Amino acid sequence: MATIATTQIPQKRIGLVEHRDRAKRFFLLPAVVWVLAFSIFPLLYALYNSLFSFRFGRINEFVGLQNFGRLLTDANLHSGLRTTLIFVASTIVVQMILGFGLALLLNQEMRGRNVLRAIMILPLFATPVAIGYLGITIFYEQNGPLNVLLRALGIEPVPWLSNPFWALVAVILVDIWQWTPFVFLVSLAALQALPIDLYEAAEVDGASRFASFRYITLPLMTPTLFLILLLRLVEAFKVFDIPTSLTLGGPGRATEVYSLFTYRTAMRFFDHGYAAAQGFLLLVIVSVIVTLLFRRIGRLYDVES
Amino acid sequence: MRQAKPQSLVIALATVTVITACAVQPGQQPVAPAQPTPTPLGQEENVAQTVKAGELKPPVVAQPCGDNCPYKDQTVTVIVNAAGEKGPISGPLYEIREEFEQATGAKLNIVEVPFAEHFPKLLTDFTTGSGQYDISIAGAWWLGDLVGGDYILSYDQWYTDPRFPKWDIEDVQPGPRSLLEYGGKKYMVANDHDGQVMYYRRDLLEDPNHKAAFKEKYGYDLKVPETWKEFRDVAEYFNGKDLNGDGKPDNGLTMHLKVGGQGMFHFMSFAAPFVIGPENTKLFWFDPQTMKPLMDSPGHLRALETLVDLIQFGPEAMMGWSLGEAWDHFLRGEAALTFTWGDLGALAQQEGSKVKGKTGAALLPGTTEYYNLKTGQWVKVDGVNRVGNTTGGSWAGVISKFSKAPEAAYYLLALMASKPKSLIYAARGWDGVDPGRFSHYLPPAGTAKIEDYLAAGWDEKDIRDYTQAYFDNFSAKLQFPYLRIPGTFEYWTALDIHLSEAATKQKTPEEALKATVADFEAITDRLGREKQREIYVTSLGLDQ
Amino acid sequence: MLRKLSPTAQVLTVGLLIVAVAWVILPFYWAFLNSVKKPADTFANTFIPFLQFQPTLEHWVGELAIPETRQALLNSTMIAIGAATISILIGTPAAYALARFRFHRPSNRFLTTWFLSQRILPPVLFVVPFFLIMRELRLLDSILALVLLNATFTLPFSVIILSQMFRELPRELEEAAYVDGATTFQAFSRVALPLVLPGLVAAWIICMAFSWNEFLFALSLTTKTAIPMPVIIAGAEHTRGVQFWYVGVRTLLTLLPPTILALLAQRYIVRGLTFGAVKG
Repeated sequence: MATIATTQIPQKRIGLVEHRDRAKRFFLLPAVVWVLAFSIFPLLYALYNSLFSFRFGRINEFVGLQNFGRLLTDANLHSGLRTTLIFVASTIVVQMILGFGLALLLNQEMRGRNVLRAIMILPLFATPVAIGYLGITIFYEQNGPLNVLLRALGIEPVPWLSNPFWALVAVILVDIWQWTPFVFLVSLAALQALPIDLYEAAEVDGASRFASFRYITLPLMTPTLFLILLLRLVEAFKVFDIPTSLTLGGPGRATEVYSLFTYRTAMRFFDHGYAAAQGFLLLVIVSVIVTLLFRRIGRLYDVES
Repeated sequence: MRQAKPQSLVIALATVTVITACAVQPGQQPVAPAQPTPTPLGQEENVAQTVKAGELKPPVVAQPCGDNCPYKDQTVTVIVNAAGEKGPISGPLYEIREEFEQATGAKLNIVEVPFAEHFPKLLTDFTTGSGQYDISIAGAWWLGDLVGGDYILSYDQWYTDPRFPKWDIEDVQPGPRSLLEYGGKKYMVANDHDGQVMYYRRDLLEDPNHKAAFKEKYGYDLKVPETWKEFRDVAEYFNGKDLNGDGKPDNGLTMHLKVGGQGMFHFMSFAAPFVIGPENTKLFWFDPQTMKPLMDSPGHLRALETLVDLIQFGPEAMMGWSLGEAWDHFLRGEAALTFTWGDLGALAQQEGSKVKGKTGAALLPGTTEYYNLKTGQWVKVDGVNRVGNTTGGSWAGVISKFSKAPEAAYYLLALMASKPKSLIYAARGWDGVDPGRFSHYLPPAGTAKIEDYLAAGWDEKDIRDYTQAYFDNFSAKLQFPYLRIPGTFEYWTALDIHLSEAATKQKTPEEALKATVADFEAITDRLGREKQREIYVTSLGLDQ
Repeated sequence: MLRKLSPTAQVLTVGLLIVAVAWVILPFYWAFLNSVKKPADTFANTFIPFLQFQPTLEHWVGELAIPETRQALLNSTMIAIGAATISILIGTPAAYALARFRFHRPSNRFLTTWFLSQRILPPVLFVVPFFLIMRELRLLDSILALVLLNATFTLPFSVIILSQMFRELPRELEEAAYVDGATTFQAFSRVALPLVLPGLVAAWIICMAFSWNEFLFALSLTTKTAIPMPVIIAGAEHTRGVQFWYVGVRTLLTLLPPTILALLAQRYIVRGLTFGAVKG
């Protein structure tokens, strides 16, 4: 019963209430004011902060664009960015493949689909920081459940949290656990909404299963897959809770993602101006990526163009 | 669209019911008779983590105030490292809550925050002047910021005031005592006395078979290590051998190196004898002329290379360990050596420990030559160059300037510092309060009675080694120069991260130290080089 | 989907299903196990209470006896309900306006995108400004501060989800109301609003779950009285090592409310999480 909403609203209909000018503004006003007050104002305030070097009670000095200059040469920041990019790329690729693959396989009438959906929702709404701490006990190296399982399968125990490479793998695994169900649920919903008659026609024409997938399913699913990709991208770049709770960014800086580094700059090193500058760089990076993708995705939201 | 199926609702409701049932029926235990189940395999591996807290309680010192309560209706809020009701440092607060409340009429609030969040939260509270916390059980390295920002109160005015419980600052050994004061005033009320000593398995070092095999391999007698070189040999020798008779290979040593897990302290006490020596007793962190960090000197480099080399004799998991896991490894008998705080020696005596009566303690090993930062030369020493330390937090209470109940706050801290309380705190393992007073030591160094320790469950050899090691450490002629200038929290956070990078081979020791220096420079520049330099020079007791 | 699957394919499907469900469920079960195991049983590789080990409720009782934990549960509840309610109250009229009225400068499309784009802003960018603003407003360590913040970050959800819902309503009913002389507000509140009520509740629930789970601002803006569950949970790993049993209890105490809430709104989850673009 799922469908991608693509209906265009007839212009005339909108014109119907066009004359009620004052009323319509009142409807919109609270939300707009709210966003301006709690989102745009802090954003401008952050921009202002980024021009200062300050630490409470000790330093407050105007430094111009110096904080932005530091962005270019800060090796720690660059390593945080690199870690984040690795995290974003690997989680999204794995989640898309696993989630979409599973949805394709389960795209059939079956009993208990609602139970399955209920189960798949659990990770999506599980508190990420709780999952991170739970992860400490799951990845526990000496006799933790995962290593016990691996040993039972005849595999050497893995140094999950003490080795830089595996620690990042652990963080990625937790994120995959949490968000693969999202890709699965959305893909399945969209798959079920695909027009059945196309497949019937294809079958009549003797098209193979693969051919119907290649020439019907994939093209029709592309917008949805793009949408999922976009939504995951936006959220994945913000990752903070899981590495903070699971590894504290360690060992060394191995899992210190961008947001965690910025948080540390602000709340550990009390370098508030520089932290603001870092935040803006992240905003620019994400905006550029999203803008490039959004051109293709805008049509999914049936707003008049 | 389909209706939501009832199944999911049932699942949800069932879960809710289970939780609620758990929550509202605390008394109801499952009725099943206690079958003597066979001990499952692997259970032993966790026993040490649950060493019993024991029944030993400090005597009641303060009498209830009845109708005449000095701090009636006041509230004292304490912020402390999260460790729970039976955990180190935080535990005694829960224990004393009732006695304090009855003696003063005030209420005691305890706010636990993770170690890494404690200082940021505290500084935030101070800089915003919101006065949420009356007391912080603080780390001594924060004092530069806390005193420098004029955020905490000196208790000079109350120390001799008879309204408060009596305790004796002169009882604290000079080393740890120096951390209680800053700029000639008293700020921290004595509580925990931190310093790292070496722990070794006495039974292993005295074992004739091991002695013979060791001599064969290394060409000298197996004994308590005196230099880090010997420490390495002993760790290497025992690594991979079964040390507790469970048939599984164990480790030469154990450390805690998790980022944010206080791993930087390992490096400090370890590196001291590589840099500090008879001709350089004070320089370790910065050049007092320029405030340039000294951390990338050949001495520091050799120290870090040696430390990183040692890591191969411990379990790989220790890169992700905080204190607790590292101690448990030793307590389960799975490591021959370690160097850490007083907690371990006392924990080893508690029920569940596998190493009671086997835990020797001694001053940290030293070196045979050190790098003199003043001359830029390696200097050979006669004998062994050993350096004492007050490494660690020496967690002790400070009183906020913004407190609305400063006298009640001091009352609490003085009560905990009183001699009868402190004696029991130091003798117990679980409470995290480590020895450092003359009244904690056995004669001739101090005035404690061996009977008290034996009554507290100590093994006699262990306690003699332990108190001697602490006395030796704190009274050593050379002492590691503790850092207490503003920004120390930032400096040491940077060191902690880079140390972990070196330990996990993400950076070479040289790169890690270079990165540390770069971070130190950035912090100094931000805080003001000249201001920092002046405070640093004063803290070293040097002339301007 | 149309063609019958071969028996092998069916077995494969069922097998995959079992793996997927196990993969999702096992971590929860592991948390539950730890929460009812005595500390000494933690590493005993036993998995079935009563049969393999004697479960205990002592950790649950102990945790819930701590006043700070109870306070945190209460704080989290108030933050979640408060933030979601504000978000819905402000978001619904805006959603209606975007669905029904035509705006020129700026256009509907721009406004929608503008609301949507709030999700792109990295929260970490707001840590310092919010901290300073809340300090000026004397709102540090207050529940109100977290309510305001979470309302802000969930506002895109309520606006976009609900505007999709309004858009799908046939407008004839409202037109009839206008003919009967209703004002714009009456058409909205008496005709359109009741019809989207189920969706409204679902959006409210999604906003609540998100607010409950928020960690970054809870960590940086609370010090004592307003600490919610996600911050409390951090205390389960401390200087004496990882306390498996408390990790179990605290993770479940933290996880269960939002997941249960989400189950109640499950019909709308897919739509909610895709901001209305895909119906579930």
